[in-house]
Amino acid sequence: MNPPEAAVAPQWRVMLTDWQIGEDDIEAVMETLRSGWLTMGPRTQELEARFAEISGATHAIAVSSASAALHLLCRAAGVGPGDEVIVPAISFVADAHAPRHCGGTTVLADIDSPTRPLLGVAEVEPLISERTKAVIAVHMFGYSGAADAAYELAEFCAERGVTLLEDCAQASGARYPDGRWVGSLGLAGCFSFFSKTALGVGEGGIITTDDADFAAAVRSLRSHAMSSVTWDRHRGHAETYDVGELGYNYRLDEPRATLALSRLGRLDASLADLKRIARAYRELLADLDGVELTFSAAEIEHGGHFAFPVLVADGATRDRVREQMRLAGVQSTAYPALNLLTEYLDPDAAPRAADFAARHIALPIYADLSTSDQQIVVAALADALGGQSGG
Amino acid sequence: MNPLPVHPRTPVFDIVIEQEDLDAVAEVLRSGWLTMGPRTEAIEAEFAAHIGVRHCVATSSCTTALHLACIAAGVGPGDEVIVPSLTFVATANAVRYCGGQPIFADLIGSHDLGIDPDHIESLITPKTKAIIPVHYAGYAVPIEAIVELCERYGLALIEDAAHAPDAYVEGAGGAPRMLGSFGASGCFSFFPNKVLAVGEGGCLVTDDDQIAATARLLRSQGMTATSIDKQRGEAFAYDVVGLGFNYRFDDPRAALLMTRFRRLHGEIERRRELVHRYRSAFADFDAIDIPYSDEQVDRSSCYLMGVRVDPAIRRDFRARLIERHGVQTTIYPATHRLSAYVEAFGEVSLPQTEAVCASLASIPLFPHLSDSEQDRVIAAVKQTVEGLS
Ligand SMILES: Cc1ncc(COP(=O)(O)O)c(C=O)c1O
Ligand SMILES: Cc1ncc(COP(=O)(O)O)c(C=O)c1O
Repeated sequence: MNPPEAAVAPQWRVMLTDWQIGEDDIEAVMETLRSGWLTMGPRTQELEARFAEISGATHAIAVSSASAALHLLCRAAGVGPGDEVIVPAISFVADAHAPRHCGGTTVLADIDSPTRPLLGVAEVEPLISERTKAVIAVHMFGYSGAADAAYELAEFCAERGVTLLEDCAQASGARYPDGRWVGSLGLAGCFSFFSKTALGVGEGGIITTDDADFAAAVRSLRSHAMSSVTWDRHRGHAETYDVGELGYNYRLDEPRATLALSRLGRLDASLADLKRIARAYRELLADLDGVELTFSAAEIEHGGHFAFPVLVADGATRDRVREQMRLAGVQSTAYPALNLLTEYLDPDAAPRAADFAARHIALPIYADLSTSDQQIVVAALADALGGQSGG
Repeated sequence: MNPLPVHPRTPVFDIVIEQEDLDAVAEVLRSGWLTMGPRTEAIEAEFAAHIGVRHCVATSSCTTALHLACIAAGVGPGDEVIVPSLTFVATANAVRYCGGQPIFADLIGSHDLGIDPDHIESLITPKTKAIIPVHYAGYAVPIEAIVELCERYGLALIEDAAHAPDAYVEGAGGAPRMLGSFGASGCFSFFPNKVLAVGEGGCLVTDDDQIAATARLLRSQGMTATSIDKQRGEAFAYDVVGLGFNYRFDDPRAALLMTRFRRLHGEIERRRELVHRYRSAFADFDAIDIPYSDEQVDRSSCYLMGVRVDPAIRRDFRARLIERHGVQTTIYPATHRLSAYVEAFGEVSLPQTEAVCASLASIPLFPHLSDSEQDRVIAAVKQTVEGLS
């Protein structure tokens, strides 16, 4: 009945991510399916309660994806026609789309540096105008940023009266140096349950916030703003629901909520594995000529580790190295700078982002990546660079 | 709104998940490939073939499928799109997502709740871009007449077939033609209370290569390559060439959809049988009026079993049914009367729709409803109406 497996998993010796779904996860999903209640029910509520508790947020609202979450964050933050939202050029295209889905304008910012592809005050400040409504800080590859940079950005936004939103799609479980979860510095944050993460369920996401009104707005918009309200009672048909504004179908369903909830129980253990693997990469790659590490050893310790980005000399080298790694069966990825995509073309807008985009290779990392597979990755990289592995 | 599980003795909808469904989902989860991949492709191909069109694009919901259909039809600011009011709010919302204005047409009458082609025609203006008829409850609207209007006025036709998988009309020469295959796009829902339920999900079907390409592109952010392409080594870098969304379906849901889809036809047959039983039970019962004809039932997906009662008693009718008999009912508010619509577009008068929305209630209908349970519902409905008349 199902097409052959070969249709999905070809020749890769090491995949970018290969998260395993446990039998306990599967059993949990089976139980939900057997219950026959498939959307917006007790599992979604439990996931939201549990996620709020673990992340330290007052409210968590499950949604259909992190992209949907970003749209709702912009909507609930009041982004509308004429408003500008600042988004880093190294991020995912959903960050740039979200303000536009609200009728707003996306303003792309450069990154701190090619070795720290995150947003800082220095990049944001020159782009602030009286129309700036929000800034979306994106925790790329799961990093929360250098010790003070994130706090400075939050303070700066507060001073300027600009809303700070956090895209933590790649950063489930990442923390700030003070131990708080990412997503807690801004008005709200969002996480993804897309399949390449520790909390992968297929498609899905969740929003966290400490602001009760914001949470209520997001919750309402997620499901077509349906409610039984006084307006209807007033008109004498309180037996039904009303729709108060233009909302969406951004609901998560119960099987996916169940899977996310089940995987959430292993998040801490997964993070410990990810950090161990990230540390090992730093050691294995430290002496490899032609490879430049990104971020710092300290940042590894509180990161979420979605992929492991390293830099090589230039774009041509990068393309050649990735191709050789592919031929060696090692999957890697690379993010385009948004300002170089057709939809957002503005080639000179973000030189450091363009440099990072051209030169980086994001290497495989996931909790079950074995030491031997990691060595295969490093060896493939070293071979492609024509040098020797430092490990 | 967060509807939580309620356990009335006889719910209005119910779904049974079989062992083969569980096995199919478990198999996908074990494979580790969760995002759109081979299972999504397989159900897309099978569903397209079933509807008799070339393309099926699986989406996160029918709401998002309708949005993609409106974009593909070119709906934008300043455009008008004619929609019914007796529907779920998503139909009209899809137009608003594109910056367009939904224009509400009335329904035919209390005997047929489909959108009225004559009223549609009277609403067509130079700004009209498209028509989105809804095959409410699984019964075909006068689709040929609407197709003809669209051709005559150069309008796009988008069928909201959320309620109508496996429903059809008799085409030329008596051959069945599936609902959803008439429009430039047809949109279906896999929401839990629908006839083909998996959780959240939907799809857009079309015969038009360009519409399919647009829907596929925008379903996944406007990206020129997807995860499965990268996994297969077919794509190394991607571009983004449109303002897209994450409107993707995923493979666990696709696997569930496949096993359930293969039982759909048998389930629809049983629904039709149940509806015939309801109709004959209420045929001589004056206090209850039932829309549609017996012949229409045989072509319908029979999603809802609607009964009309005196508007003056409907509230108590529903309250007593659930309180005294454990029989759940549902109703649809008229979209044009919702606050969000009154605020945005002002008051609109649709006499037929208003009369129907005030009198209609759906009573339990699902394939595994037994004859005896149904008889209990019938008795409860009759007794309740008599007690209130
Ligand atoms: C940084 C970032 N933000 C947002 C998203 C969108 O997440 P989703 O796929 O859940 O919509 C992604 C997904 O790749 C991402 O990497
Ligand atoms: C007529 C109609 N159209 C569209 C929808 C939206 O479907 P979904 O819930 O899959 O977004 C529904 C669902 O309730 C519906 O009844």
